[in-house]
Amino acid sequence: MNPMLEIQLIAAVTAAACAVPGVFLVLRKMALISDAISHSILPGIVIGFFITHDLASPWLIILAAFSGIITVVLVEMIQKTGLVKEDTAIGLVFPALFSIGVILIAQNANDVHLDVDAVLLGDLAFAPFDRWMVDGSDWGPKGLWIISIILLISLALLVAFYKELKLSTFDLGLSSALGFSPVLIHYGLMSVASVTTVAAFDAVGAILVVALMIAPAATAYLLTVDLKRMLLLSVLFGIASAIGGYWMARLLDASISGSITTVLGLLFLTVYLLAPNKGLIAVLFRQSRQRIEVSLLTFLLHLNNHDSLEERRVAHLQEHINWHRVRANSVLDLAVKNNMIIIEDEVVSLTDKGLEFTERALDYIMTNKDEKIEDMKDDFFLFRG
Amino acid sequence: MELTDFFTNYTLRTITLGTAVLGAICGMLGSFAVLRKQSLLGDAISHAALPGIAIAFLITSAKDSNILLLGALVSGLIGVFWIRGIITKTHLKTDTALGLILSLFFGFGMLLLTYIQKQPNANQAGLDKYLFGQAATLVESDVRLMLIVTGISLIILLLFWKEFKLLLFDKNYALTLGFNTRFIDGLISFLIVLAIVIGLQTVGVVLMSAMLLAPAAAARQWTNSLGVMVGLAAIFGACSGVFGTAISASQPGLSTGPVIVLVAAVFVTVSFIFSPERGILFKQLRLIRNRRELELKKTLYFMYDIVRKHEDVSRPHAIRILNNFQGFTKNTLSQLAEKDWITIQGQNWSMTSTGFETAANLYNKNLPEP
Repeated sequence: MNPMLEIQLIAAVTAAACAVPGVFLVLRKMALISDAISHSILPGIVIGFFITHDLASPWLIILAAFSGIITVVLVEMIQKTGLVKEDTAIGLVFPALFSIGVILIAQNANDVHLDVDAVLLGDLAFAPFDRWMVDGSDWGPKGLWIISIILLISLALLVAFYKELKLSTFDLGLSSALGFSPVLIHYGLMSVASVTTVAAFDAVGAILVVALMIAPAATAYLLTVDLKRMLLLSVLFGIASAIGGYWMARLLDASISGSITTVLGLLFLTVYLLAPNKGLIAVLFRQSRQRIEVSLLTFLLHLNNHDSLEERRVAHLQEHINWHRVRANSVLDLAVKNNMIIIEDEVVSLTDKGLEFTERALDYIMTNKDEKIEDMKDDFFLFRG
Repeated sequence: MELTDFFTNYTLRTITLGTAVLGAICGMLGSFAVLRKQSLLGDAISHAALPGIAIAFLITSAKDSNILLLGALVSGLIGVFWIRGIITKTHLKTDTALGLILSLFFGFGMLLLTYIQKQPNANQAGLDKYLFGQAATLVESDVRLMLIVTGISLIILLLFWKEFKLLLFDKNYALTLGFNTRFIDGLISFLIVLAIVIGLQTVGVVLMSAMLLAPAAAARQWTNSLGVMVGLAAIFGACSGVFGTAISASQPGLSTGPVIVLVAAVFVTVSFIFSPERGILFKQLRLIRNRRELELKKTLYFMYDIVRKHEDVSRPHAIRILNNFQGFTKNTLSQLAEKDWITIQGQNWSMTSTGFETAANLYNKNLPEP
């Protein structure tokens, strides 16, 4: 294999490996724990390196992952004292541990083949040079093997404990009542996240691991609420951005991991704006439609309440309801288009259809079933707001 | 390095003053972040500021730190607004929004930084310092800027003190009183962003959040008053700045940022353990003392049960009849005697009338607190 292909392969597998635990972190509202872990494994990696003198050694990965778990325990300990809130606890623990790591690197700069840039960015470009040799034959880059094994393990765990994970994520109470230990599942997930973070750290650096974990999952979450589909989508997004990021980096001659994150960011931005149901534009559109339809209903109710001719004159209504002219016009337009009202000689009156709609809506409001109005709109409206 | 260097060495004096001022402003504004449960917002903002620095450099190709910081301010604010947008308009939760903005902006910033480094013309050497902070690069004009920003924030803080306080502890009440909560909310967020941006050069993007959090979290342990907390946090922050600078100046190869953060972490640890009201140590001591008190009263009540069956309350009993009850030792007996609840004569004990009374009323909740 040529190095170009190998780098893309490593990036893609790393992205996939990060996306799997990332989905559960996002769903369990623990996204920031991944930030904490990715920072605080640094001292673990440095100390592990002092002991093993090999950045790709499995022992180093286990040691560093262990320091990730220590972070989680520390955060929970501080939280349990009740002295500060959870987010403050996270914010206190990881900068301290990260600082220790940075200082250790700086103090031993000559012994450690780590520098601060590598910590933040990783060195994906050099990953293919560290090869796994068995009896003189070349088995490919070490990094690829490590991250592939981790991906396989976490996939195996995912398949084996899928229903337990799903249940404890969405209904913690029920899952503990059924006898699945929440502590065990929590720490299991944390361990997988830690190990993945350590392995990915080597490739993409401390902070970008967070992006690989959270961004694909968050993007997928905007598109679906089905767990299986969300897992699949986030793995796909991860892989696509990894490969897209690689080519962007080549184009700009800039950091690969920075480019991957940027592609992830663009992907998220696009979905954030355009997602069919939960995207910003869809939400804003729905909100404005809702606003005008609520106004319409208010208007119809008002008409229904006031029978006398005098009170149904356009001029009087304008004064009475006191809406802005533009809004008043669009409400009137909508009502006329839907045959809810007719305007004769500057007097507004409800049509039969308008009357029926209004009375049924009133019924629903009186019986506290406001949400049913939404269904009713489909039957009555030819045009939506 | 000698101690006198602080007073004679001009550069060191500037740097120390700078980090002290920075610590003070971060502590002050950090108090609000901590109390508003927005501790990690600072982390997100500081990371989000990075692309702003890079873009400002790309546009102006100047190394003037004021322009770069302006870029940082703009991109930090964009980050804040985007986080708000994600939280209010989608079903993604706060933690996801923070993590997203933090990592995506930072990644984009790193992309730009590496891109800048490859540019042939760029006099870019200075941009790296924004990652971990280089207090050594502080010059007098930077410190002056810090002082100005601190002064302005202090004035705004004093002017809007009661509004901030109200918003902090009872937002709904503030709303009903007719305060423009959105404006006050925006103002305090803006000040926090400002403090973060000012600190980037000294402490760096990665560790800035700790600078904001740690002094405030430490100060919170010593007081329940907002004013005192803000003041204490400012002092803790300033001390972390000064000590951190001193330690990092005394050894080659120590970035200032991490050292300051570690000093601040020491403040936090000490506060967590030794604060008299909330600290772990005194809490534990109080717990032990209460437990002992309870044991003592249990023993007393056991004795009362024995005594009650006799007409003469102060009739002596042998100590060994207490044997089937585990809750007594020589020590507890002497303590009971000290409180004048019992008297001990040789191998016998007898209950005094005060002891009898206390025991009789032990479970009576209607008595006034002593």
